[in-house]
Amino acid sequence: MGSHFLIMCWFSILVGAFFGTLTRDTVRDAVRTGAVLAVSMVGISLIIAYIMFFLPLGS
Amino acid sequence: MQGMGRIAVGCLLGWLLPGAGHLYMGKRVKGLVFLAIVTLTFAGGLLLKGRVYLADREQPLTYLATLANAAMGPMDLVGRYACYGRILFVNPPESDHPAYQEILSLKRARILSVTNEYGTTFLLTAGLMNILLLLDLFDIGIGRKR
Repeated sequence: MGSHFLIMCWFSILVGAFFGTLTRDTVRDAVRTGAVLAVSMVGISLIIAYIMFFLPLGS
Repeated sequence: MQGMGRIAVGCLLGWLLPGAGHLYMGKRVKGLVFLAIVTLTFAGGLLLKGRVYLADREQPLTYLATLANAAMGPMDLVGRYACYGRILFVNPPESDHPAYQEILSLKRARILSVTNEYGTTFLLTAGLMNILLLLDLFDIGIGRKR
């Protein structure tokens, strides 16, 4: 697997599922928390990447 | 078995196999989910050509990273064998010794892979997840958490 984006999604899903299961007691709450965490991680990463696109690479 | 003994057995099982401690404590669904998640994270690290850390006296932070990797228990041994062809926790002393050169070339081969940093992060994350699971087991054992 060479796609950086897919690896990031894979990582986010695993970490989201982990913390959702760890911190919530019901399946519904765990799935919701895990999904929020995973989507947040991917979304924030894309926002940061978008901002960094305009930053100069340096000399 | 009650009290601290039960917690110790749970933590030992959890260290040997992620999620096994939760199964032992009666958290069957959580135990199986944790087993799947942590194992997938660890396997992903190896598939992405990540490398487990070796403790190096010259770089003190590698001790923490090695500890994080070692939190995977026997799975970490598999990772070390997959990375270095042997079970090794400490970087051989820098010299012209053949073992040092061999480990260095194995490290370089992995670092050249474009996904090496991702894989290494996956492997570290799997170990850190298991440390959190052991702390969770302790909380369950003392009754702080249901």
